[in-house]
Amino acid sequence: MEGAMRSDDKVCTETGIESSSRGPGCSLRHFACEQNLLSRPDGSAAFLQGDTSVLAGVYGPAEVKVSKEIFNKATLEVILRPKIGLPGVAEKSRERLIRNTCQAVVLGALHPRTSITVVLQVVSDAGSLLACCLNAACMALVDAGVPMRALFCGVTCALDSDGTLVLDPTAKQEKEARAVLTFALDSVDRKLLMSTTKGLYSDAELQQCLAAAQTASQHVFRFYRESLQRRYSKS
Amino acid sequence: MAEPALVASESLAGCRARAARTVLGQVVLPGEELLLPEQEETDGPGFAGERPLRLNAGIRTRLRVVCGPGLRRSGDRLLVTKCGRLRHKASGCGSSGGIYWVDSQQKRYVPVKGDHVIGIVTAKSGDIFKVDVGGSEPASLSYLAFEGATKRNRPNVQVGDLIYGQFVVANKDMEPEMVCIDSCGRANGMGVIGQDGLLFKVTLGLIRKLLAPDCEIIQEVGKLYPLEIVFGMNGRIWVKAKTIQQTLILANILEACEHMTADQRKQIFARLAES
Amino acid sequence: MKETPLSNCERRFLLRAIEEKKRLDGRQTYDYRNIKISFGTDYGCCIVELGKTRVLGQVSCELVAPKLNRATEGILFFNLELSQMAAPAFEPGRQSDLLVKLNRLLERCLRNSKCIDTESLCVVAGEKVWQIRVDLHLLNHDGNIIDAASIAAIVALCHFRRPDVSVQGEEVTLYTPEERDPVALSIHHMPICVSFAFFQQGTYLLVDPNEREERVMDGLLVIAMNKHREICTIQSSGGIMLLKDQVLRCSKIAGVKVAEITELIQKALENDQKVRKEGGKFGFAESIADQRITTFKMEKAPIDTSDVEEKAEEIIAEAEPPSEVVSKPVLWTSGTAQIGEGIENSWGDLEDSEKDDDDEGGSDEAVILDSVKMDTGVEVSDIGSQDAPIVLSDSEEEEMIILEPDKNPKKIRTQIACTKQEKAPSKKAVKKRKKKRTTN
Repeated sequence: MEGAMRSDDKVCTETGIESSSRGPGCSLRHFACEQNLLSRPDGSAAFLQGDTSVLAGVYGPAEVKVSKEIFNKATLEVILRPKIGLPGVAEKSRERLIRNTCQAVVLGALHPRTSITVVLQVVSDAGSLLACCLNAACMALVDAGVPMRALFCGVTCALDSDGTLVLDPTAKQEKEARAVLTFALDSVDRKLLMSTTKGLYSDAELQQCLAAAQTASQHVFRFYRESLQRRYSKS
Repeated sequence: MAEPALVASESLAGCRARAARTVLGQVVLPGEELLLPEQEETDGPGFAGERPLRLNAGIRTRLRVVCGPGLRRSGDRLLVTKCGRLRHKASGCGSSGGIYWVDSQQKRYVPVKGDHVIGIVTAKSGDIFKVDVGGSEPASLSYLAFEGATKRNRPNVQVGDLIYGQFVVANKDMEPEMVCIDSCGRANGMGVIGQDGLLFKVTLGLIRKLLAPDCEIIQEVGKLYPLEIVFGMNGRIWVKAKTIQQTLILANILEACEHMTADQRKQIFARLAES
Repeated sequence: MKETPLSNCERRFLLRAIEEKKRLDGRQTYDYRNIKISFGTDYGCCIVELGKTRVLGQVSCELVAPKLNRATEGILFFNLELSQMAAPAFEPGRQSDLLVKLNRLLERCLRNSKCIDTESLCVVAGEKVWQIRVDLHLLNHDGNIIDAASIAAIVALCHFRRPDVSVQGEEVTLYTPEERDPVALSIHHMPICVSFAFFQQGTYLLVDPNEREERVMDGLLVIAMNKHREICTIQSSGGIMLLKDQVLRCSKIAGVKVAEITELIQKALENDQKVRKEGGKFGFAESIADQRITTFKMEKAPIDTSDVEEKAEEIIAEAEPPSEVVSKPVLWTSGTAQIGEGIENSWGDLEDSEKDDDDEGGSDEAVILDSVKMDTGVEVSDIGSQDAPIVLSDSEEEEMIILEPDKNPKKIRTQIACTKQEKAPSKKAVKKRKKKRTTN
């Protein structure tokens, strides 16, 4: 679609300037998070990474359809809605990745025969969209008070044609990259919960990306902690 | 379900576990592990290497520690599962025992046995009423569970009425069940709530704050206008004052208490008392 | 998920409050809730907040062939989505009556009122026109969806810029934003919906009803109007009888409200344009209120990745070297390739079993495969030797069969029969049949 393409390009021109001032690539863009901004869902969060922005709403533990009921644990559903048009295969595949990540940390056995629904709305995509979706989902789950074994975060790495590693890439950097790797890491052991990759890379590069993602995850988790501390500062 | 993973991760996380006593009143996040005071000497950060000492654990006097909402037991530590401030209430017998829980600001209610809640009657079916309490499934309420109710003398409850009741059955595997009588068969304030007044929703954390024994808000609100008020642990508040205007003011003040410090609140109350 | 039911006491209280001209949020009868408009970094992207009701709007465009009966007009397409995020009762993928009604009303308000000059969207008559698509997502439902959606739609359309095009003869050139500045749509006027809720059979009226008020209202009147006080569409639902005076009064109120909202929209658009021109910061990150305790921002965080390579090397050094199973893809025939060897050396097996109860046609295939197998002898023999200890007796016989494909079928059958006795007979038989089916 021309419109989408055009607007993407526009974003690139702006973030392109930004990236040049970012130095040799190894930094995270500015982060912002607002919790509890929607009145209807049980938990909600808007997560921004640079110009990428995702809004998440969580319902749960709520009533479940009989057809989806699981007798010994909660039914976890993730719905990802694109900004333009109807959800397609790409959204379904991302939904699955996010759902599997959430499933790994949510203590569903504490609320059998209920549903936990995570609805994600893409607000703007300027690179590292899946990572941003994961972060928004995590903050919304925390806001909803869904019991979790650990927190999780998403980190995207891009590898250039000459092998330089870029963390939290912009859309332009993603497009130029030889490989784009997205990891979900948990907060307790910084272990891998999910990974999805695109492009060619060597095993050494994979380990490098993973190690970089683990370092970056510390910053993300610190950001989580500080924003939650701020949120509870008046209670 | 979670146990094996937790045990495996314990050794890694060991150095990061913080003593529960030192983080009291602070914000804790899911995934954090807490050490109970009795373990601090042996398992504390400095002594992480001296694991064998734990063999003597049996000799130490075991204290009764209760895991409240937002905490789970993992081995002999506490695992945080919700975000919020860590609270502790000492039990009568010792200093280090008692109840630990996480005070979170969630909106969704999960029925707990003994909680007093406000429900909305959604259906009458045979001998029971179905009551919406905001949980994952409606609670059941027998028509005999009212003061003075008999098979002949049924309570007058219509669909859409508000019920203030208490859970007698509430666990994750069963349908929750409510009653409107205490153990002596007395209403004790429970039953159908009057036909006027306003119902509104707040977070569960605010309800707990308002119902805390040392809460000043209720006293301050009471000084403003004469009022009738019912708090449900499921985040619902029913309030009724003399006029509609006063009821609305009270509802808006209580809603705003969520994010106000004590000073801000006092200012607003003072301003209202003047007008 | 079901909606929380509305209790009798709420219903009664709301109606009594309305009689006393009081509203839950302290508004007066004709007051709108606060409207906040924020823009994204992309053109044509905005979020409109009407109190707690939130709508995300995004405009996109595409070059398409025009409709046959309107060869010189661009196409406008509206799509409002009620996401489950907005309210638990909205189910994904279901076209509810409410959704159809809202979408239709939006089309009437914005497309049928000709607020966009569709002829200016024509590139080559009868061949290429711009299709403008407006996607609206309801993010939070606190009543009066239609007003919020119509504001979001018109704001997004005003904010949108489409790529510039030029036509030289037959050739259509599309310019990127760097080459030529994108162009705004030509908008004739800005229709905005204003909703009126009626209570007690039309005795009482409220502007901009919130969710609870909508649940107790008897009827709804929506008037779409522009700032020139031209009515673009009008819709009354709920089956209330309204007097002429009431409708006239509503249209007067709508005129005032539309003028206010239009001014607000223009101010918001100007602000955004100014910031963009001056090169300041814009986008949703800037519109988040800093002072709220539920929000938190972090500036760009540098991350030390200097030790990453060492770490990676360590991990790789510690890890066992990957087993050398990498095999070259083998091209059997054109269109059929094989990568790796699979679990067992079942290729030989398969062909036997196929042959044993089949006719000449089957053996033909076997010959082809046979010869290929010899071609790739190096790799296959490797695997074969590994597997050999497991299926000792089998393999010998197989080899025989493969080498002599013209053998009497009967004889083969007996041979297989004895192998069956050695192995689990029933299983093998089933396997055979399955394999046969797959190869045929």
